[in-house]
Amino acid sequence: MTSVVRAGHLAPYFKSTSPVISNGLKVAAAVPTSPDKIVIEPLPKTSTVQSLHGALPISGLKAKVNPRLQTQARFAHTDIAYPDYSAYRRKEVQDPKSKNQESIDGRQSFTYLIAAAGGVGGAYAAKSVVTHFVSSMSAAADVLALAKIEIKLGEIPEGKSVTFKWRGKPLFIRHRTADEIATEKAVPVDTLRDPQHDDQRTQDPKWLVVIGVCTHLGCVPVANAGEFGGYYCPCHGSHYDASGRIRKGPAPLNLEVPPHSFLDDGLLVVG
Amino acid sequence: MSLWSTLNRGVFKRTSTFAVAIAAGSFFFERAFDVASVTIFESINKGKLWKDIKHKYEN
Repeated sequence: MTSVVRAGHLAPYFKSTSPVISNGLKVAAAVPTSPDKIVIEPLPKTSTVQSLHGALPISGLKAKVNPRLQTQARFAHTDIAYPDYSAYRRKEVQDPKSKNQESIDGRQSFTYLIAAAGGVGGAYAAKSVVTHFVSSMSAAADVLALAKIEIKLGEIPEGKSVTFKWRGKPLFIRHRTADEIATEKAVPVDTLRDPQHDDQRTQDPKWLVVIGVCTHLGCVPVANAGEFGGYYCPCHGSHYDASGRIRKGPAPLNLEVPPHSFLDDGLLVVG
Repeated sequence: MSLWSTLNRGVFKRTSTFAVAIAAGSFFFERAFDVASVTIFESINKGKLWKDIKHKYEN
């Protein structure tokens, strides 16, 4: 019982006042003021932790108010600098009194011009990329090398030799006349350098299909020329007849007949 | 300043005219850019191109 009443060792915990701990700063001294003026002690300029802490309004008032004067201490609005936006303003609007509408065209058009230049460059780059990828979808060289060609035979008149391009080489399609067919069929095979009968070289005797590359050194013969009325190679004077067979000159072989077939509706497919 | 204001009010402020201006500009830009890059390429490779040595092989 007595230990509770006379608890001297508990005395510090029952004290109603707490000890004052100084923050190390001097509390600003009261400044005598004239009745019409509030004097505020200037804040310390140095930005150390202590000076900034001292600038907070928790450490005691920086201004003393004359009790006869109704006034207030203002912490903001006087000692905090208004933010400076001049770094973000164009020079036309640095002056806060300048009118926005007077310089808006110059400012906006410059910004839009930069955006438009970026758009033009982007459109060019996008077009290049798209063209690149779309062109990769076109037929590759190995596909083109095995390509077929369809020829409408109705467009080739009788007695005429027409040249097409097929797998990178000239292709001669000759619509032979009845005289030519009769002449070529009558040629004795054993007199030929590369003995082939006309029936071996044509599927339909009216149509001769040969590759227009001279078998000598690869020149392109001229149609309807030479001594045998067929093809004549101007390079070294090889004469081919109307069946594409070598008749005279240095070439060793007949003109090559590519694989071809005739479709029903007047179409010839080579390849 | 009147050039800027004409450009801004006539072209840039409306999105439709802005897009048309970009499309038309890219047409000319592409042409100019391609010509310029080909010119630079040919000036760097001068003497190595077919058109420079063509006269030796063709008559």
